[in-house]
Amino acid sequence: MINQYLLLSATLFTIGLIGFVLRRDLIVMLMCLEIMFNAVNISFASFSYYGGNYTGQIFVLFSIAVAAAEAAVGLAIVLSLVRVTGINHSDELRNLRG
Amino acid sequence: MSPLSIDQIFFIYFFLSLSLLSIGVIASRNIIHSAFFLLIFLLHVAAVFLFLNAEFLMAIQIIVYVGGVLALFIFAIMVMNIKDELKHRRFVKFAGSGFLVSLLFFAVFYVFLRNIRLETSKPLTSDTNMLGSLLYSYFLLPFEILSLVLLIALIAGILIAKKNPKEDR
Repeated sequence: MINQYLLLSATLFTIGLIGFVLRRDLIVMLMCLEIMFNAVNISFASFSYYGGNYTGQIFVLFSIAVAAAEAAVGLAIVLSLVRVTGINHSDELRNLRG
Repeated sequence: MSPLSIDQIFFIYFFLSLSLLSIGVIASRNIIHSAFFLLIFLLHVAAVFLFLNAEFLMAIQIIVYVGGVLALFIFAIMVMNIKDELKHRRFVKFAGSGFLVSLLFFAVFYVFLRNIRLETSKPLTSDTNMLGSLLYSYFLLPFEILSLVLLIALIAGILIAKKNPKEDR
């Protein structure tokens, strides 16, 4: 049934959210963002399956492409941040101009 | 209690393993171990797409996430060359309150999702032809905009991650 897929999606989203809030490393925070993207993709696909409509799958395609773009830009930002300041923890970044 | 069908047994397996793998991404101390947990997590999500009759999404998930995004993560970890990660603590200072707020979030989710049902006609079959024709007719403009987004992300990634020539001197 649809509620078990939605429960799976909610569980994975919550675990990704917990990781994003709790972890200090910037790369692991980006990985938790990917977990949250995947959870939402599962929920889109389950609505598409049980609703009998292909639009949900096309939304998942768009979401995957946007996630790829987000990962590229986010990792570039983290890379240049580590190169400039030498810090890769989120709670040690205090000044805006490194 | 009625006996479980083979679908339900597989679904329970995927539920438990996806939860454990994502907890492994969070809890592992070494970043490269998190990346490999994420690899197996993404493959399991591809299998869940196969449950939902979305074969094209399964292929795209493996090609784009495992072949693209995860390779990018591992490249970034290797370029940054983090050695002293094992000595640092993993979680932020206010981890307990963050955990409680996230559990509250999940409780609200659970209250909403517990009794949901969808009055459906019939579950859809796997049809990649239909998906392609829909993507190139009705969703043509978002598709083109998406290509522009990817191009801009590519250029921005190169420009941001490039070495600043003033620092080398």
